[in-house]
Amino acid sequence: MLSMSDFRHVDFAGSGNPDLVSVAFCSNFEGLVLKYHPVSEIIIEIQHLSKYYGHSRGIDDICLNVGHGDFFGFIGPNGAGKSTTIRILLNLIFPSSGSAKIFGLDVVKDSKKIRGRIGYVPSDANLYDKMKVHEFLKFGAAFYGGNNSEARIRELAGLLELDLERKIPELSTGNKKKVNIIQALVHQPDLLILDEPSTGLDPLIQSRLFGLLIEENKRGTTVFFSSHVLSEVQALCRRVAIVREGRIIKSDEISALRDKQLKKVRILFTDENINTDLEIQGIESFHRESPKSIVFMFSGDINELIHKVAGIRIENLSIEEPPLEEIFLHYYQ
Amino acid sequence: MNSILFNMEFRRNARSLFLWSFIICALIFFTMSFFHSVLQYQQQIMGMVKLVPMAAMKARGFGNINDIFSGLGFYAANNIVYMMLLGSIYSMVLTSNILLKEEYSKTAEFLMSRPISRNEIFASKMALAFLNVFILNLVAGLVSFISLEVFKSGDFRVQPFLVLTLYTFLLNLFFGALGFVIAALMKRARPVTFFCVGLVLVFYFLFTISRLSGVNGDFGYISPFKWVNVEVLKPGYGPELWRIAVFLGLSACLVLASGFIYRKKDILT
Repeated sequence: MLSMSDFRHVDFAGSGNPDLVSVAFCSNFEGLVLKYHPVSEIIIEIQHLSKYYGHSRGIDDICLNVGHGDFFGFIGPNGAGKSTTIRILLNLIFPSSGSAKIFGLDVVKDSKKIRGRIGYVPSDANLYDKMKVHEFLKFGAAFYGGNNSEARIRELAGLLELDLERKIPELSTGNKKKVNIIQALVHQPDLLILDEPSTGLDPLIQSRLFGLLIEENKRGTTVFFSSHVLSEVQALCRRVAIVREGRIIKSDEISALRDKQLKKVRILFTDENINTDLEIQGIESFHRESPKSIVFMFSGDINELIHKVAGIRIENLSIEEPPLEEIFLHYYQ
Repeated sequence: MNSILFNMEFRRNARSLFLWSFIICALIFFTMSFFHSVLQYQQQIMGMVKLVPMAAMKARGFGNINDIFSGLGFYAANNIVYMMLLGSIYSMVLTSNILLKEEYSKTAEFLMSRPISRNEIFASKMALAFLNVFILNLVAGLVSFISLEVFKSGDFRVQPFLVLTLYTFLLNLFFGALGFVIAALMKRARPVTFFCVGLVLVFYFLFTISRLSGVNGDFGYISPFKWVNVEVLKPGYGPELWRIAVFLGLSACLVLASGFIYRKKDILT
């Protein structure tokens, strides 16, 4: 039986809090069932990580902690630095500065040990041609001493409806993605790193994949889920970091993002010539919809806003909770 | 070294090894089969060859006009093209691509998410590549020996043949090591086959020019081909320590350098 004393304060990117322990829970993809389990170990610890390719920026001063059992969303537009971060974690590329640890081990010095405990689904990696699917999966599993891999391969292939006897070059993009998902899950890793895992999958298989990931997470597997599909992250992840132009601009629990008091305000003025500069703090993502209408995100004092608007002739004022997608987009822009 | 990766690479490259071995051996055997005819029409051929400038003969690999009518001399001239040139191309293309293919085929992300270190990847691929080069040289050497035995006109000295075979293997090994360096130095994931073939041909061209009469051939030592003593019919032909040391020393340096670079390299897919 869990009590509140099992949990401590949650802190995220940029906190620099080495004592971080996060409260892990995941929501069932289909709905409301929440499963809680205490988190006592940091699985991924990224400290001031930067990567530059000559003068061009890959990522810049990223700090991030992911706790054991977490389902962590890593979200951002294309080119934001998500894959660069993942490639550093896998030691495919070296950081320009900063450090990263997985399971408390340095990703550069101890990469082999780390890889023995992770499963990775790349965004668009190819598979070795001249192999059949089954042969490829056995080959991948062999690195982990995969004596018991056969049953697991067949179980996962059945779930994702993948024909193991097909030749790799004959596979569609979606089926190649299934192979990549299976090879990452066969050895039952402690950490799953997923880079756009649902790309190319049909909705039914996507749903099964998400169910599978939730099951893995319930078993204690930490999931690092990189995506630019907001709905996926919203449905699956408990915590999220939003990355833009190589920097983490926001990191929080999904529920906390909803509760940030960020309001979407739309004002329709009676006259086109009214000065729309409200001159109050907390206005972001300002956008003029029409000569008479403005829309913006507001995180300031709502009373001050009402007071300002009261002095202007308006036709309509709406203040609403923005959907999570708009909150993400607000941080993206 | 990782046996799983090594075995996979062996299967992956077996077909190419078989094809190259088959083609080179067929060329050697086919060319040597002409030797009987060369002897049979010795007078007529001598008359024709005298019309050919000696420079052209040297460029083709014959140090002396009479080399044509010696089984070993005839073989050695052809060996320059078949094993020294083609073998080196095979070797360099193999070693450069065996590393780079993971990157330009985008399989590096799969491989490097396995519990295997970069050192193990490099060592496994290097071992496989050099084994293939050894197998090619071994098979070609055996076929050459059989061809010489079958088509010889009299006894041929085995020792110069073995020394030439050793030099050829060391040359192929050197180009293999050079291929690893090129692969490790490549910043972008793309095949380097044409570059490697071109590089071998440039070295071969330098070597050929350096052998022409009237040319001071010392500059030919820029080319690794020149480090092989191809004058098999010269008295006292035998293994020379400096040549072996240069090949082995430079190859080892190149392999170590490429391994070091590969360990520090960003794998860009």
